[in-house]
Amino acid sequence: MSAAAAEATERGEPSGGGGEIAYVSYGGEHHLPLVMSLVDEELSEPYSIFTYRYFVYLWPQLTFLAFDPKDGKCVGTVVCKMGEHRGAFRGYIAMLVVLKPYRGRGIATELVTRSIRVMMESGCEEVTLEAEVTNKGALALYGRLGFIRAKRLYRYYLNGVDAFRLKLLFPRPDPGMHPMMMLGNERDDQHMDSPYL
Amino acid sequence: MEASSSSTSSPPPPPPPSIPASSAWADASPLLDAACRDLQDGELIHGENFSLFGAMSALEIMDPKMDCGIEKSGYYSIDEAIEDGIAPVPLSLDRTLDIQRTLDVMDHLFSCEATWHKGHTLAQTVFTCIYLMRMERTSSHAILNSFCRILRATCYAVVSVVSTARTHEEEDLFTMSFGLPLRDEGDEKCLSILNSVEETIARQLRACKAQALSRKKTLEGLESLQDNPDLEEDYCRALLCRLRFRKHFYHVVTCLRKPHGRGLELARKHVASCLTELSLMLNSRDFLRSQSNNTQQQGDEICTTASGVRPVGFDASLNSRLLSPAPPRAVKLLSWSDAIRYFEKLLRDLDIVCSSPLDPVLENVLHFVVQFQKSVPDLVPRAFLQTLLVQDGKLYGRDLSCDVISRALSLPDIIGDKEFQMNEFVVQLGQLEFALKREFGETRNVLLHENMCMRVSKQLLVWTQEHTYWVAYRFLILGFELDLYSPSEYCMVYWYMYVVLMKLIEQMQLRILATRRKGKKKKDHSKDSSRDTAFPSSCLLLQCYVLLSEGLSMMLAALRNESNSFQLPSIFNSEQEVDWHFDLLQKARLPEHITYYSFRESASHASIADLTKYNFFKEIHKITPSLRGSFASEPEKLAEIRQIEQVAEHNRIALNIISQVGAGDPSLRVSFEFTHHPHFAVAVVKRS
Repeated sequence: MSAAAAEATERGEPSGGGGEIAYVSYGGEHHLPLVMSLVDEELSEPYSIFTYRYFVYLWPQLTFLAFDPKDGKCVGTVVCKMGEHRGAFRGYIAMLVVLKPYRGRGIATELVTRSIRVMMESGCEEVTLEAEVTNKGALALYGRLGFIRAKRLYRYYLNGVDAFRLKLLFPRPDPGMHPMMMLGNERDDQHMDSPYL
Repeated sequence: MEASSSSTSSPPPPPPPSIPASSAWADASPLLDAACRDLQDGELIHGENFSLFGAMSALEIMDPKMDCGIEKSGYYSIDEAIEDGIAPVPLSLDRTLDIQRTLDVMDHLFSCEATWHKGHTLAQTVFTCIYLMRMERTSSHAILNSFCRILRATCYAVVSVVSTARTHEEEDLFTMSFGLPLRDEGDEKCLSILNSVEETIARQLRACKAQALSRKKTLEGLESLQDNPDLEEDYCRALLCRLRFRKHFYHVVTCLRKPHGRGLELARKHVASCLTELSLMLNSRDFLRSQSNNTQQQGDEICTTASGVRPVGFDASLNSRLLSPAPPRAVKLLSWSDAIRYFEKLLRDLDIVCSSPLDPVLENVLHFVVQFQKSVPDLVPRAFLQTLLVQDGKLYGRDLSCDVISRALSLPDIIGDKEFQMNEFVVQLGQLEFALKREFGETRNVLLHENMCMRVSKQLLVWTQEHTYWVAYRFLILGFELDLYSPSEYCMVYWYMYVVLMKLIEQMQLRILATRRKGKKKKDHSKDSSRDTAFPSSCLLLQCYVLLSEGLSMMLAALRNESNSFQLPSIFNSEQEVDWHFDLLQKARLPEHITYYSFRESASHASIADLTKYNFFKEIHKITPSLRGSFASEPEKLAEIRQIEQVAEHNRIALNIISQVGAGDPSLRVSFEFTHHPHFAVAVVKRS
């Protein structure tokens, strides 16, 4: 769905002296304008309020916000969903944004890691997302987390840029059984189709 | 909604008969009213099946980022735009300006057409032209009318090829043409209409030349294009090359669609003519620039016309209501120069399609497709190749796939036996054959037939497996071309390539042995026992890939083991899950009995010391000299061998350096680059 405005590729160093960032789980309508303005500002795709509400109402536990404690400003957010997808319970990272001046401090990694952890605990087998092929920062960030590039989507975004579908597969409950040996397993790389068609 | 105020005077209407009379009815209007009052801006009521698709289909009206129907031009309809005079016919009352503007419209349409081919909708490109949307208005303007008509017919033909071929992806907007006047009666006559216009201008051009020679002042019996006799010749030329390009391109498109590839030769001639006209179009640019009003000119990178002037008769937002209810896609038109470059590439790719020898041998067809792919052709030439190769489910619309495979299997005895083909060839394989054997084992004459079945079945199985591994190998290398692999995955990818290639060679050798054994029955047995060991050069070439793949995989594994680099992230999962990249192959059980553990097993023991002892990269140099000899007449293969040798040599040196410094040395930095081959990386060693 959406590209992530991610941090620079420097090796995951924590905050560079700007004080600890506070991470908050989505707490209700008062957080919605913060999420919306961040995404509107930083991501290329336009979303209506219904799209935001769709995510934050159904999966509030997967949405996180990052605040700068100095001035209480919201500097980053992650918005996700999860559900059945072609026989697998799948998490999906819809939007990930960190304001430019705050990038390179591990904020995006922390936000997305929190969401992924909740997905894992909720029984997700995999996590997917799309990122612009030109968004090196996002690709590096997800690469470090173990995402692989499953597919290249031609002109996926409205601005005409290709996307990679990235995928993270969680380990199976039975460690003796390798996923690829479980035949009849209907996992598929088929994606959530672009809704703009 | 029904009127909500219920008065006591009029009794409520009786319930419809389908509803049981026992139900108690209440007026829900006040409740709905209250609910409506409660509903804030941005809220909605939805059912349980409300999906992300539903949420994203909601658009915010008047938000320019979302509302593609938002008025930008100020025109509510094409008619209003026409009334406002943005697409006059004639384009100007000044006849010279009229010709200038006509040329600008042609050029802008050319840029629009290229932009459409590159993946935008017709509605937002070619059909932003009001003259094209209302073609009947141009009937008094023969030049513009003939140009628009043949362009429209070409667009229609190209849409039809792409829809037939279905080589486009679901995300492509290419064939979306709803609501556009893409076809009209009389479009079949577009060629003859264009020809007569072309003929008139050509005559005028000849007259201009004759006049220049004889220095006569008037052009007798001919009507000039415009009023300035000094410019007449150049304008004739500029128009002619544009009209002729359209004519030849239309011929290319129609010839390529002729059944059984019968039009290829003619198509090729028209491709050459198109390229000539394109260069004449480029030549006309200086003249057109010199005649245009400088103040209106745009920069070359963005201007969509040769003259540099913005054309009349276009409105980019008029068709926005024909688009799907989605946020508007940004359309950046190609510049005229880029459009020329696009068409040159398109025509060169189409020329390759035309050069198809219509070879019925499957191996050669596959090779042709692989070669074609190397030029990274766009959607349109890919569609043409597809429609050439497969027509009515047959190769070139001519050879049954069954015959093509028989030929590939070299089964001369059986080809003629239609009954055999129907019953056994396609339908039954392997196990079924064994069942047959058991059931009919008693009957002598069936056994004879059945032995043949067995033999064919075995051969077919080997052949199928060989081709499946070939596809698997192409699947794996495609990952490099699409940039799907990260360096930490290379180790596993190369290992997989190594395994698939080994299997491919194995099947290839089995097939060759089987055909040889068959051939030998007729010949002398004792003579060529030595020939069995010599396999064709295609096998040897694969052997080089095997060595490169295994060498790279083991080198990466050794680096992992000894220097802790190229490790996969392990926060949420392990390498085992990354193996998912090969999920499709695994589902097809390709290769059989290969799992992540097989990889782990071989990778865990890799060491730089062992690698330098058995150096895969050195081995390659033992094979390549003989390969050079056998590929002496194939320059492409020779180039490939050179690349292989370079990759091998660079990696051999890199391995030596790593071995001397020690893989564990913290100052050592190893990275992998695709500088010498698109699929096989070269190790770059640096010390910090």
